Amino acid sequence: APAVVRAQSAIKWRWQTYAGAALGEHVTKPIVDYINNASNGELEVELFYADQIVPTGELFQALQRGTIDAVHSDDDSMASPTPLRQFGGYFPFATKHILDVPVLFNQYGLKEIWEEEYAKVGVKWLSAAGQDPCNFNTKKEITSVADLDGLKLYTFPTAGRFLAQFGVVPMNIPYEDAEVAVQTGELDGMAWSGITEDYTVGWANVTDYFLTNNISGAWIGSYFVNEKRWADLPEHLKAVVMSAIEAGHTYRNQWYWGGEAKLRATGDQLELRTVPAAEWAEVENAAKAFWEEIAQEGEIQQKIVNIFKEYNGVINQAGPPYTNG
Amino acid sequence: MKAMRRFITVVDAFNYRLGRLMMFGIFVLMGVLLWSTFSKAAGSPSLWTLEMAQFIMVGYYILGGPYAIQMGSNVRMDLFYGDFSPRRKAWFDAITVFFLLAYLGVLLWGGIESTIYAFQYGGERSSSVWRPYIWPIKVIMCTGITLMLLQSLSELFKDIIFLKTGKPMRPDQGAGPDQKNTASADQKDAADAL
Amino acid sequence: MPYELIAILMFSTMMVMLFTGQRVFGAIGFVAVIAAILLWGDRGGYDIGFSAAIKLMRWYPLLTLPMFIFMGYVMSESKIADDLYKMFHVWMGGLSGGLAIGTIFLMVLISAMNGLSVAGMAIGATIALPELLKRGYDKTMVTGVIQAGSSLGILVPPSVVLVLYAMIARQPVGQLWLAGVLPGLMMAALFVIYIAVRCKLNPALGPVLPKEERDAVPLGEKLRLLRAGLLPLAIFFIMMFPFVKGYTSLVESSAIGALAAFLAAVLKGRMTRRVFETCIRQTLGITCMFMWIILAALAFGAVFDGLGAVKAIESLFTERLGLNPWVILILMQLSFLVMGTFLDDTAMLVIVAPLYVPLVGELGFNLIWYGVLYTITCQIAYMTPPFGYNLFLMRAMAPPEIGLKDIYRSIIPFVGVMVVALVIVMAFPQIALWLPDLIYSR
Ligand code: NA
Ligand code: NA
Repeated sequence: APAVVRAQSAIKWRWQTYAGAALGEHVTKPIVDYINNASNGELEVELFYADQIVPTGELFQALQRGTIDAVHSDDDSMASPTPLRQFGGYFPFATKHILDVPVLFNQYGLKEIWEEEYAKVGVKWLSAAGQDPCNFNTKKEITSVADLDGLKLYTFPTAGRFLAQFGVVPMNIPYEDAEVAVQTGELDGMAWSGITEDYTVGWANVTDYFLTNNISGAWIGSYFVNEKRWADLPEHLKAVVMSAIEAGHTYRNQWYWGGEAKLRATGDQLELRTVPAAEWAEVENAAKAFWEEIAQEGEIQQKIVNIFKEYNGVINQAGPPYTNG
Repeated sequence: MKAMRRFITVVDAFNYRLGRLMMFGIFVLMGVLLWSTFSKAAGSPSLWTLEMAQFIMVGYYILGGPYAIQMGSNVRMDLFYGDFSPRRKAWFDAITVFFLLAYLGVLLWGGIESTIYAFQYGGERSSSVWRPYIWPIKVIMCTGITLMLLQSLSELFKDIIFLKTGKPMRPDQGAGPDQKNTASADQKDAADAL
Repeated sequence: MPYELIAILMFSTMMVMLFTGQRVFGAIGFVAVIAAILLWGDRGGYDIGFSAAIKLMRWYPLLTLPMFIFMGYVMSESKIADDLYKMFHVWMGGLSGGLAIGTIFLMVLISAMNGLSVAGMAIGATIALPELLKRGYDKTMVTGVIQAGSSLGILVPPSVVLVLYAMIARQPVGQLWLAGVLPGLMMAALFVIYIAVRCKLNPALGPVLPKEERDAVPLGEKLRLLRAGLLPLAIFFIMMFPFVKGYTSLVESSAIGALAAFLAAVLKGRMTRRVFETCIRQTLGITCMFMWIILAALAFGAVFDGLGAVKAIESLFTERLGLNPWVILILMQLSFLVMGTFLDDTAMLVIVAPLYVPLVGELGFNLIWYGVLYTITCQIAYMTPPFGYNLFLMRAMAPPEIGLKDIYRSIIPFVGVMVVALVIVMAFPQIALWLPDLIYSR
């Protein structure tokens, strides 16, 4: 690479993403590249993939201490020590589309809640991102709700807790091990992502079927920074980081929206299956009970569930395309 | 010197007993994995077996670690070391054991911080559906690492006593140890295996 | 200091510490945690060591480690392989070099029942070696036969080395195991050819068993002994069949295999108190050795990764030196072989693999195929002095007439055969990939 004139004391960040290298290329790396290009060498971010430096379970503490400077993950799988934990990842049927996430955060008040709760535990929350829906890709065919019974699936903790009532056996293993785990028989498949991720990370190579029904329309993930590291960052670099994240949101919105459609229509590794909407309503109804259960857990939980209810009330009244999940 | 001997006796005896107990962990592990197989065959796969097996494995190798040191199971690169005289080995070990102590010390430091975290914010829980609290396994890990530290110190003291008195404290220092016969048989078998 | 330099410094410090003779895990762990504190101590950094312990806990395929080690000890300590040896003895004794060839077959069967080389080594040195010497076989050749034969334990499935490789390379264990089958059999065939040719040229190396001794065993007894071959095959299939069919997972299968070997020993009346005690004690000892080394190496790997060392090395090779991927691969294998002579297979695996495997992936090579190349290199590392388990074991177990010189000399031709096998698999990847493709293709 050609030598670039760099500022004397570049600030260096180690940034770990929840994603493995193949997916990280799309969900996190564009942001890191943007920062490295736009900061004129004043801020150098090194990107690390799932579990590379710190295992997911230890990620939050490492972020608090500063062993890792920044993290891209969801509250649920990184075991956030806040009441927000179960709302990250896939809170069952909370959203229909990728754009619902920024709307919920910026227009319905989730942003303020997230900022406040993470400030309490000494971590700077920067922004939330919408990503793909939570469909199923499995070795066995799913054509009815009953087919979920006994399936060992790699899924998010809260999604797993929700799906357990249908007989799903949720499994908790490192992200990068999931593909191998399907082949070693530890897993029957995943309830983890949309079809874009299935093809991108290679899960389509080890599973046969894709269920078009989802249990949530968009992943809610966030960007976090060590509190002190953020405070020490000059204002103009903060602006670079925030712009990079916004640019990343735009890129991902398109990548997923286009990818989901194209791979369902033309992908040749996963056969599509659908549970009739009337039958899937059983799962949707179970989510309503699940929301109430979670809302009982505390004041913050109640507040967030109410926001989800309010928003879903709005889109249901608005009708299609908002209601097509 | 007397205090060192006392330390060696107490630490070695404790770790020996603990290790002898952990030996049977292989069957506990086997049992859990077989139960996992069985419950799957019976149509209702168990939710906790894989994670439980992981916890057992951690207990097995961390709490069994000090006994493995006693047995001499931990390989060394013996390109030069292998040809040293017992005295020279003891000299080298008495110095290089501080690498080991430093490693174990930092391991314990991280372990304690992580265990404290596991108690904060209402208690860290595993993100599986079984959702066990994480602190018990972290406490076990810290305990095991501490015992590893004590065992390493015991090995250091054995080297010091050997260097001072010339009296072998371990089979590799010459004649058999002045301790239990079983321990010496253990060490011989372990040497045979490698 | 530039990161490349820190990386080189870490690596060389570790090598120096290893040479001091301190326990391998202590030397590696020390460099890892001290480097982490020096680099990142102002903000955490001390937690890298313990993080590795949590990472290790979540690596579920390592649960197979104690199971396969236990299987190996049950087999070697309970001597359930004795009958197997007798079988080859009476059936192959009539050939020139037949007992040595039979020993290779024995080693293949034992390899199919356990995941490490140690068990084969112990069985070979205690059962086969004295018999071969008694029959006037050349001591140097048979010493080599046993060491080389036992090394197949990590190439023929199940294989602990391939499980560890799978974790590092993020490749499916099932496919890796299948990929090891044909190269393993091919290597065994090459050993057999080598022995046959040498004994043909010089029959004194492996004298034919006298006719009267062969006739002393009646045909009925000979046929009965054939059944001994069924036991290892039965254990292998009890373990592998449900796994390949997807009824059980990898770790569950390993527990089934361990139970099967244990029950076989009990039913044959070989599981005495002493054998039982030795098996579980040794299993603990060897498992601890592996786990603590991997624990330390994981911390080392995390710091190394944190420095971006792999990326730096890759760009050095491809961009700055402009090398062709195949040239890089061959250079890597050569450096691997050199390191392998003075490291053992475990150290190779946990220290070198995390550096090399991602690089091979970046270069666009098939990582299943590379797993086989890698395992063969580990076999060579296991064989070659000054560091290799076989040498310790041979020193401890061989009869007095076999000196250290004989042990060292004996491995030379077999290492030569292994290098040939390595080159063949490199040139014809299909030897490794055909079987996994066949079974896993849809
Ligand atoms: Na094997
Ligand atoms: Na070697």
